[in-house]
Amino acid sequence: MFMANKAAVFGAGLMIVILFVSYILPLFFSADKFAYAGKRHTAPFTDGGPLLGTDYLGRDVALIVMHGGSTTLEVAGFAALLIVTVGALIGALAGYYGGIIDRTLMKVTEFFQVLPGLLFALVVVALFGASTTTIVLAIGVISWPPIARQTRSEFLKQKNLEYVKAARSIGASNARIILLTILPNTLPVLIVQATLTMGAAILFEAGLAFLGLGDPDSLSWGYYVGLNRQYFLVNWWGVTFPGLMVFLTVLSLSLIGDGIQDAINPKLRGR
Amino acid sequence: MADKPLLSIRNLTVRFGTFTALKDLSFDLYPGKTTAVVGESGSGKSVTALSVMRLVTLGTRAEIDSGEILFQRKDGSEIDLIKASEREMRDIRGNEISMVFQEPLTSLNPVYTTGNQVIEAIQLHQGLSKQEAYSKALEMYEMVRIPRAEKVLSDYPHQLSGGMRQRVMIAMALSCDPKLLIADEPTTALDVTIQAQMLGLMKDLQDQTGASVMLITHDMGVVAEVADDIVVMKRSRVVETGTVYDIFEKPTAKYTQALLASIPRLGSMTGKTEPELFDLVQEEDE
Repeated sequence: MFMANKAAVFGAGLMIVILFVSYILPLFFSADKFAYAGKRHTAPFTDGGPLLGTDYLGRDVALIVMHGGSTTLEVAGFAALLIVTVGALIGALAGYYGGIIDRTLMKVTEFFQVLPGLLFALVVVALFGASTTTIVLAIGVISWPPIARQTRSEFLKQKNLEYVKAARSIGASNARIILLTILPNTLPVLIVQATLTMGAAILFEAGLAFLGLGDPDSLSWGYYVGLNRQYFLVNWWGVTFPGLMVFLTVLSLSLIGDGIQDAINPKLRGR
Repeated sequence: MADKPLLSIRNLTVRFGTFTALKDLSFDLYPGKTTAVVGESGSGKSVTALSVMRLVTLGTRAEIDSGEILFQRKDGSEIDLIKASEREMRDIRGNEISMVFQEPLTSLNPVYTTGNQVIEAIQLHQGLSKQEAYSKALEMYEMVRIPRAEKVLSDYPHQLSGGMRQRVMIAMALSCDPKLLIADEPTTALDVTIQAQMLGLMKDLQDQTGASVMLITHDMGVVAEVADDIVVMKRSRVVETGTVYDIFEKPTAKYTQALLASIPRLGSMTGKTEPELFDLVQEEDE
């Protein structure tokens, strides 16, 4: 099903290329990315200059973009993992137990949902410093509510189905029913959400880094766009290439997410 | 009926908010017997079954108001299922009392193979290794006469027909050798030939295992086929109880008479062009 969806296959291919560029290529180009590589503001594809030109300090744009990928992807990956775990857990408990537990957890969820996302993350990162951990936590804290709500709705739908009653009638405990009986049935939805969330987390990381709240040593894509921003009129390539990488990564994740969704939802098939 | 009842329901009252789903319900189930609980839709048959499993309060606003359900456990002790702790109930469910549901199509978890689910049920109560549980499951599948049992163990529920899934459910329910099997309209969702097979199978298995069966149904034909005792329910109350012979021979309650009269008889339409209307039983009749 997934393979029949051309857009999704394109997205998956794109993701493979991005992972290759971010994780395999740096092994072969391990030169210091901060080193001087040519006259500053050398345009891309000039003879004798680096492939994608140099930035305002004469550093190799291609090298920095290549090395910056892993930071962005890791922050986004961990954030997505955190978001899905927390969201799924809270949604599962709320949906399964209902009543006062549901109302309390949903109020908490709503509280986090009304926080102005970027602003809150900015405050957190500004207060606790721009380490990878704080950025992951900041993104996680503001992004889990939609997953929690979706998981809750799935649990509400599933918990009264007969197979859950049957599981209980053979003597399964609540924890067992939540984790082993119902949760696997909500996985299709969760996987799609996780993919889309990861795309959002990348944009978030790029946004924070662009505003300067990133690790200056690892020069993630967003951070590098931010650094090159003021030279945009003389040096378009410094912002374009890292920006393009962010764009392509998010695009590929969205396409993959849509593809999985179509593959598991027969009603949307052949639309 | 000299035996001590296996399960004794005494003055059970269950409410859903302001609606009383079971009113002062009392009846006994005897070891090794099949007791049919019959009655119209909404008469409280399923609520009775779920109360015995104590699944009735789950996810609903139901409350067990009063009464007791005395059950003779495997170890010989007697327990009131209403006062039992959740831990004790978990130990009893599936192990001493198990249940087969109405909808075989939805009562298996779609993401696991059927074998996986039966093995889970076995491992929950018997402390067997995966390997032992697997052979036990295989044995159960053969007992409920599933052809190609080994293959079906690794099939997912959607790959099986309704009758096959119900067999899996029965295998799962009997896998821990329960003393009481509650079957909530086990044949309603199946077609007539499969129904007959299922009833025959359940009867055979009961003879083999010596379990009691509480059969919930609204099909008097099924009752006549397999039941020893009958409990007739209407509007949250027991109308009449007795052995299958007594009830079919000389039903005393008007409602039971009407219920029996509602079964079409072969030849009853001879010489008529269309079915006749019959009087509905009114509430005041009792």
